[in-house]
Amino acid sequence: MPLIDPSVVDLSRLQFALTALYHFLFVPLTLGMTFILCAMETTYVITGKEIYKEMTHFWGKLFGINFAIGVATGLTMEFEFGTNWSMYSHFVGDVFGTPLAIEGLMAFFMESTFIGLMFFGWDRLSKPGHLAVTYLTALGSNLSALWILIANGFMQNPQGASFDADTMRMQFNSFVSLVFSEDAQAKFVHTSIAGFVTGALFVMGISAFYLLRKQHVALAARSFRLASVFGIISSLAVVTLGDALGRLDYLVQPTKIAAIEGLWEDSNAHGSATAAPWLLFALPNDAAQTNIAEIGVPYVLTPLITHSLDTPIPGLLTLEQQAGPRILNGIKAINALQQYGVTHDAASLATFKQYENDMGYGFLAQKNAPNQDLTQITPANQDAIVAQTEKDTIPNVFATFWAFRIMMFLGFYFVVLFAFAAYYSLRNELEKHPLLLKAALWSIPLPILACEFGWITAEAGRQPWSVYGWLPTFQAASSHPVGYMVFSLIGFAALYSAFIAAELYLMFKFARLGPQDHHAEPTVGGGATMFGKPQVADKSWQ
Amino acid sequence: MELYVVLKVIWAVLLGVLFCGLAVMVGMDMGVGTLLNFVGKTDKERRVALNIIGPHWDGNQVWFILGGGAIFAAFPTLYATSFSVFYVVMILLLFSMIMRPVAFEYRSKADGSWRGIWDIAFLISGALPMIVYGAAFGNVMEGVGYHYGWTGQYFQDESFLSYLLNPFAVMCGVLSLSLSIAQGGTMLMLRGEEPIYGRARKAAIGGSIAAVILFAVGGLWVSHLNGFAFTAPVDPNMPATPLTGQTVAVQAGAWMNNYHTYPLLWALPILGFVGMLGNLLMNAAGKPVVAWWSGALAWVGVIFTTGGSMFPFLMPCTTNPNQSLTVWNATGSEYNLGWMLFFALVFTPAIIAYTSWCYYVMRGKVKLSSITDDSHSY
Amino acid sequence: MGKLFKFIGLAAALALAIFLAVVTGDFGAWYFAWLVGTTMIVLIASASAVMFDTQESNSKGEV
Repeated sequence: MPLIDPSVVDLSRLQFALTALYHFLFVPLTLGMTFILCAMETTYVITGKEIYKEMTHFWGKLFGINFAIGVATGLTMEFEFGTNWSMYSHFVGDVFGTPLAIEGLMAFFMESTFIGLMFFGWDRLSKPGHLAVTYLTALGSNLSALWILIANGFMQNPQGASFDADTMRMQFNSFVSLVFSEDAQAKFVHTSIAGFVTGALFVMGISAFYLLRKQHVALAARSFRLASVFGIISSLAVVTLGDALGRLDYLVQPTKIAAIEGLWEDSNAHGSATAAPWLLFALPNDAAQTNIAEIGVPYVLTPLITHSLDTPIPGLLTLEQQAGPRILNGIKAINALQQYGVTHDAASLATFKQYENDMGYGFLAQKNAPNQDLTQITPANQDAIVAQTEKDTIPNVFATFWAFRIMMFLGFYFVVLFAFAAYYSLRNELEKHPLLLKAALWSIPLPILACEFGWITAEAGRQPWSVYGWLPTFQAASSHPVGYMVFSLIGFAALYSAFIAAELYLMFKFARLGPQDHHAEPTVGGGATMFGKPQVADKSWQ
Repeated sequence: MELYVVLKVIWAVLLGVLFCGLAVMVGMDMGVGTLLNFVGKTDKERRVALNIIGPHWDGNQVWFILGGGAIFAAFPTLYATSFSVFYVVMILLLFSMIMRPVAFEYRSKADGSWRGIWDIAFLISGALPMIVYGAAFGNVMEGVGYHYGWTGQYFQDESFLSYLLNPFAVMCGVLSLSLSIAQGGTMLMLRGEEPIYGRARKAAIGGSIAAVILFAVGGLWVSHLNGFAFTAPVDPNMPATPLTGQTVAVQAGAWMNNYHTYPLLWALPILGFVGMLGNLLMNAAGKPVVAWWSGALAWVGVIFTTGGSMFPFLMPCTTNPNQSLTVWNATGSEYNLGWMLFFALVFTPAIIAYTSWCYYVMRGKVKLSSITDDSHSY
Repeated sequence: MGKLFKFIGLAAALALAIFLAVVTGDFGAWYFAWLVGTTMIVLIASASAVMFDTQESNSKGEV
């Protein structure tokens, strides 16, 4: 079997991470903005006041600028599993591809068809008809998040499929376990609501900008009110779901939770687990397998993670040692499987079945075996290989620890920011608090940042696995020449940089232009308003 | 016949349907993109052309995404292998495809040379994907060089240059481009007025003439091409793995075997020609609605002609023919195919219903004046 | 006739909502929470905007 080139695996990972993180710059805003537009248009339909229609138009235009790149970069994601993760696609395509296909059938068609009507159908649909279209667009975009996170849930905690030795892949066996996997559920709600927070802060921040400059005050104050209330509920929900996800990781991905918490030794290594500190700050050193410096708050960790007072949490060093026997079993499993592939005999199948649940650890050892061949492991070199592989079973602690902390600190910051914003907005005292308005304006990029770090926590923390416990990332990549990867990486970097430059240019341009100006002067900015005839603005609020 | 075999065959047919949906709907938009600089001499004319498909391109593009997802789920090994084997070409396709949504949304939002840049983006993102789409079919018919390791990991045996510089594949690419130009031109006639209407008519007629010629040439070429055939009986109910269970030989003219065995299949290429000629004549007669449906039939004819000649092969392998991907060895599991079929049966009627409704709501001509007065977005 | 269609449409939407609530309530508590929570967030946000208008007209009335 030809060797897997580690540099190609690394480049594939780099490309996937860059394209996914880039795609994810735009997705949360789409998830949230669509429902905020729903809220605005609902108000319009209920009250019949033109200003809410104006509001839906204006924010819809900014939303459209964002949506286009989200769609474009989403194309890359749908195809990158095949172009760069061939072995992965072969190994789990039977179960992982299904939610992606359903996503297309159920969600993308809905979202993409109705978004055309949402932008172009104002004059052709009745008020409730158009409102229904807006709701369907919002539902469609969030349903697509649902299905992709069901797929991701399978990578985190593989449920609903089992390995089949005849086809050498995981085969789908339970639709219900796949779709209702707890990981998928909590992850979907967490991600979708994180999008709500992103959208709310986007609307609130730009409204704050207008309020600070005393422009478009009527529209901005109403938008601010709506977004701040939308945001305070959402930000609380995100934190709740974050806790649910953490507990789930503790149950099914012990290496991830230990890395998130920078926990090298068991939580009860120094006395009882009850007093174990939750680290506020630490500098994990992956090479030395210890934290160089740490500041912790005692008595927080155990109840936070385990939802109990004295259950010990295993540390990374313990988890590494526990992997040892599984690696030995995994090597037996893979060798038996390879034998079975040639002979199809009952004996090797029986051996494989005996160690089947550890086969992923055998794959993991392949990287360290002579010539990446497990059959070349002898009693002489076995201990060294197992020891080396044990160290490979945990993720990069520094990255996971800090990605999680930045996300979490930001999450709590949003709760505080929205609480103040909603409070002062409800009391109509915003103009007395310019600092709050400035904070809202400058915080616009922060939820997007938090989402990115959330992605890093979830996916870097899952390493070394692409499918937790079954398929290491190292095995999952396509066997391309390095040149192919350089070509595609350079291309993506160039195209995506051009896109983000164009997006930011237009975003700033239209945000600065504000809601009325482009209606008053349709030829400015290309004469295009997204929503048909310019509305004559209601003078009472100007 | 066992349920699994039935499901495999159903999904092979659905794969064809998916390719047709993609070709008709995305091909139409691509045709408009390719023709943009030809049918629109001024900026306003170009905007009219773009707004003709403006409300629909995003929904149409989902056929492309669904194509990726459905192949991933229903034919995991095909998805895993084909996208990696054609890596450089696939990446070029992606680069050109991802320009298009951005071009639609951004073109009209600023002035001057900004628009010129996006006009070039429309040309590239219209023509290149259609050429790649057709060329992929051509390359697959000629066979691809790869083999599998014992885990099912694929390894490539050929350089990407052999896919780019393959005359038969290039011809297939041009055929696909011509059909998309015919279909895009027809759509512009449907919703556009003079002068766009007249220019689009010229382009559409040119496109269908080219398509008729290329389809005929392609048919003759295929009858001399190296095809693939089983040399020992295959169990269609076999576990879906390319590693064992098939013996395949390369034979000149083997792609005509199905047509010799089942002469009824000749209806497919005839359907293709009827569609192309119908598109040609109806556009000449100024009846774009009938022409549009004829153009769609032409795609169905061309794609199912290819499928009919290759069945059950999906992606034959030149360097290791026994590991060729076929309908029997590249599908998902029975359980998976069953669930997918359920979802396809539930959602496809819904998709057709609301897509039609969307076209119905947006019906009517897009006028030059409507761009300046009503100022739609693109 | 139009009323009948409207009635049938609304009844179908209601039936779908009940079906979804039962399925997600049984199998997926978080999905259920999302359905209810999102509806709630949208409606409360919308209500808060309506409240803004009320506050504004009240304060105008006082002056």
